[in-house]
Amino acid sequence: MSKPNGPQDDDSHQRLSSSAEAEHPLEWDESPNNRKSKSERQAISRREEKTDARKIVTGESKYTADYALHFPDLAEASILRSDIAHGYVTEIDTSDADAMDGVYAVITPDSDEVPDAMYTSAGQSYPEPSPWDLNVLRRKVRYVGDPIAAVAATDTQTANKALRAIDVTYEELDAVLDPEEAMEPDAPQIHDPDQVENIQPGADYERNIEAHTEGEIGDVDTAFEEAATRDDWFVTETEWKTPYQSHCVPEPHTTIAHRDEDNRFHLITSTQVPYHTRRQLAHLFDVPIRDIRVTKPRIGAGFGAKQSMLIEPITVALMLAADRPVKLETTRREQFYAMRFRRSARVQMRSVVTQDGAIKAFDMSAVTNAGAYGPHGLTVTSSIATKPLPLYTHTPNIRFEMKAVHTNLPIGGAIRGYGAPQGHFALEGHMDEVANKLGLDPIVLRSRNLIGNGDLDTASGVTTDGEHVRRIRSCGINDCIERGKAAIGWEDVKQPEEDHLHRACGVALTAQKSGVAGDELGAAHIRMNEDGSFILQTGAVDIGPGADTAMAQIAAEVLGVPPEDVLVQASDTDISPFDYGAYASSTTYVTGSAVKKAAEDARAQLLEFASQMLDEPVENLQARDGAVRSTQTGDSVTIEDIGYESIYGDNVRAQVMGQASHCTDESPPPFGAQFADVTVNEHTGEFEIHQLVFAVDCGVAINPDLVEGQVEGAMHMSYEFAVSAGLSFENDGTPETLGFRDYGMPTTADQPPLESILVETHEPTGPFGAKSVAEIPVNGVPPALSNAIHSAVGVRITDLPITAEKIRAKLDTD
Amino acid sequence: MWYSTNLAPRAQIGYSTGTYMVIVGHCHTMPMEIEMTLNGTERTFEAERSDSLLDVLRRNGYTGAKRGCDTGICGFCTVTVDGEPERSCIKPVATIDGTAVETIEGIGTQDDLHPIQAAFVDNAALQCGFCIPGMIMQSRSLLANNPDPTEAEIREGLAGNLCRCTGYEKIIDAVQDAAERMSGEQTVVTDGGDLTHETAGCSSQDWSRGECDE
Ligand code: FES
Ligand code: FES
Repeated sequence: MSKPNGPQDDDSHQRLSSSAEAEHPLEWDESPNNRKSKSERQAISRREEKTDARKIVTGESKYTADYALHFPDLAEASILRSDIAHGYVTEIDTSDADAMDGVYAVITPDSDEVPDAMYTSAGQSYPEPSPWDLNVLRRKVRYVGDPIAAVAATDTQTANKALRAIDVTYEELDAVLDPEEAMEPDAPQIHDPDQVENIQPGADYERNIEAHTEGEIGDVDTAFEEAATRDDWFVTETEWKTPYQSHCVPEPHTTIAHRDEDNRFHLITSTQVPYHTRRQLAHLFDVPIRDIRVTKPRIGAGFGAKQSMLIEPITVALMLAADRPVKLETTRREQFYAMRFRRSARVQMRSVVTQDGAIKAFDMSAVTNAGAYGPHGLTVTSSIATKPLPLYTHTPNIRFEMKAVHTNLPIGGAIRGYGAPQGHFALEGHMDEVANKLGLDPIVLRSRNLIGNGDLDTASGVTTDGEHVRRIRSCGINDCIERGKAAIGWEDVKQPEEDHLHRACGVALTAQKSGVAGDELGAAHIRMNEDGSFILQTGAVDIGPGADTAMAQIAAEVLGVPPEDVLVQASDTDISPFDYGAYASSTTYVTGSAVKKAAEDARAQLLEFASQMLDEPVENLQARDGAVRSTQTGDSVTIEDIGYESIYGDNVRAQVMGQASHCTDESPPPFGAQFADVTVNEHTGEFEIHQLVFAVDCGVAINPDLVEGQVEGAMHMSYEFAVSAGLSFENDGTPETLGFRDYGMPTTADQPPLESILVETHEPTGPFGAKSVAEIPVNGVPPALSNAIHSAVGVRITDLPITAEKIRAKLDTD
Repeated sequence: MWYSTNLAPRAQIGYSTGTYMVIVGHCHTMPMEIEMTLNGTERTFEAERSDSLLDVLRRNGYTGAKRGCDTGICGFCTVTVDGEPERSCIKPVATIDGTAVETIEGIGTQDDLHPIQAAFVDNAALQCGFCIPGMIMQSRSLLANNPDPTEAEIREGLAGNLCRCTGYEKIIDAVQDAAERMSGEQTVVTDGGDLTHETAGCSSQDWSRGECDE
């Protein structure tokens, strides 16, 4: 209904749609107060100050390591990691380390305190889709970085000294560093299937494949066969490669573990997933879940790095062995080889497109380098297709095949975008190649095939053969394109005077999700103090973006109070309601909905009190501006009056307390358009990016400042992915990229100006119309830049990072 | 190889496991005493010879400066020493004896923010906040040397302070805004009006967290 010029759907597609129509109606039973005009909004759509802003700028905001001072007998810890890429630890001699002054404990795989159980580091819901293929400390090592032993000592320096005194003997095995080679029959086998519990489809450990699956909508082969017989259907084939990317998480992973006064395990830890961590620790250490408490303090950002349980088990084992509180703070060096990364990928695209630009078929396949272990292997690699392809969901024939392959290199994990950046680079680069082949304007080609409001999206369900379908109830992609074009100056690119300089703009469209459909739970509890303020508890894990502030705004909008009257407590498994954690762009959409419902529950109770106090029926009452007012009489009571009445009143006393859970099968995509404006020097290949613009439809922005922050921060990471990401290794798998500078994280001096544009739509399934925004802006810069460079000088860079050398090499050969 | 693993010959310098810290003559039995003027107050701290200034600050409760790399690259640990911005993680504490050190804790309070802090808050120039204490200390030095910087000068001046969350846009806005706020304040001071934080010193009621009363 949105594409007046769109292609005709094939019959097969039509049939599928009609059967899904009824199950996914366009109409959504939205509560009447969910849709507010801009003038009605009080607390949302406002640039509310972030709740923790003042303590951040005064240095009082407390992160895990800052809690060290609370533990006078705290030991500090370090980890001994494998310095070979593949082999067995045949002997560990810790006697010198044990004997060292100031050393409290040295643990190895043989220590009683170190569990033998297998687990996955992926912080996912239970049962985790990722394989259980990890031990806490490892006798078989599979990459340079596998933890072998750990020390707790008076301080880090002593712990490091003890580490150096540990003597490790290895039996070395051949290593394989390339996923294609790893799938060869004679490649070294990295995992023994008997040692691993893997519920992912298609695992073939003899070929180092941890997951392999394929899905198809329509009939792709037939479309290609038909294309071979027609000269008005065009086949385009492309291949795209992307490197490792580090989260460069500002706060290195840090954990403090101690026993509380009831002898339970208490962890203060830099995590995005307190509840998953609690459950996984209970499994590993074989203690009841109730005997573990996980406290999330302020977090120095996550970006998916902390959607993993990485150092918590070692810290707990050391705490047990040393019998005292232990702090384990990873080093920046460890961050660059021994934590988790965006997995490198190779994506192949084939398409059939008619002469006038109707896409008939996509055939996409991806191989990703999982590295030594398998967390998030299936789910990230599948997302390479399922996140971007919905942009062109009307494509009647779509096939996707994925393989996640082990190598003896660092481990792929969850990272902002979660497969979508690799997928968008391939899809949106490919779309430009098709446009070039057909001689169509790249935006015209996209618009001809674009998803629109009211559409049924099947492409996001390609891995289920189209069984998973969703209805699109908000879509502002066309406005994103128009506003982005205007901001970047698409129609009017001025060429530099020098003949060897060429300027052009490139575009890439993007999509993401809002939470994992059908696999999330957010919960919230809100109670009123007698002064009319509220304490809001949610499991929402604010790792920096400002989730706590957004939650306060949502609750305040419902309750008719200023957001600063809603105090949000940080996630703590002893205190907060349950939450799956901060990942999958779910917090605002899923937990925000729980907060809204809990606040509505509290508001109903508030209105009951007000009704008694004003002697007016509830239907006549409205909560707004810190008071409840009768729309009939104009009489009002303040929220504070109600607070005192509820707690100290002469009639019914009952604390106003609202609570709710929220889970949903919906996961509406946010949409966005990325633009890049670049000048390329045709002699040297050097290029200058003048500006990057990203226009996003994230529904209603609960807090525009925070949304812009997400867009700009994610665009920065996307820019890095485009021009400087990647890790390098020696031939034996030894890492060479060990610091920010080696890695090339962009600084203020080398990053181009970024502009964010918010296009408002209303998502009826989201709280006050909101969708997600945290990940989508990380998808677009690589394809937009590759497309801009192609448009400027006619060469196509298909492997990231895009460098002057690569452009020049192509210019020289073309 | 198509995975950008950039294979290269083995480097000359051996790669060792564990952390990056180079330990020189570390000895538990010989602590030393370091005297410094910390945020305007004379302080004496016990330290190991191998300690960095960051180690000593954090161990003594000044946890505003953050440890992001311990190698002088991220800027999260930035403080000033005798007025100059320094990466406290690579500053051997022995070199600090007799100097004046300022940390984020000495700049302003939540109720009475320094204009740079206020500009960061008002411009939403922060997310996780891990880089922010260092970023503000660096910005303060930048503006002290150049009260009216261009955007390019701000970009140059902050290039040693990383931020992973913000994309730097709002931080650059905040520093420009702070420059304006401070030029306004300087006018007030010249006119004989209120003192700024910079000149108010310990007489101000803002010093509520004990930095001045020892
Ligand atoms: S911690 Fe000092 S510069 Fe990074
Ligand atoms: S705000 Fe997180 S690193 Fe700057």
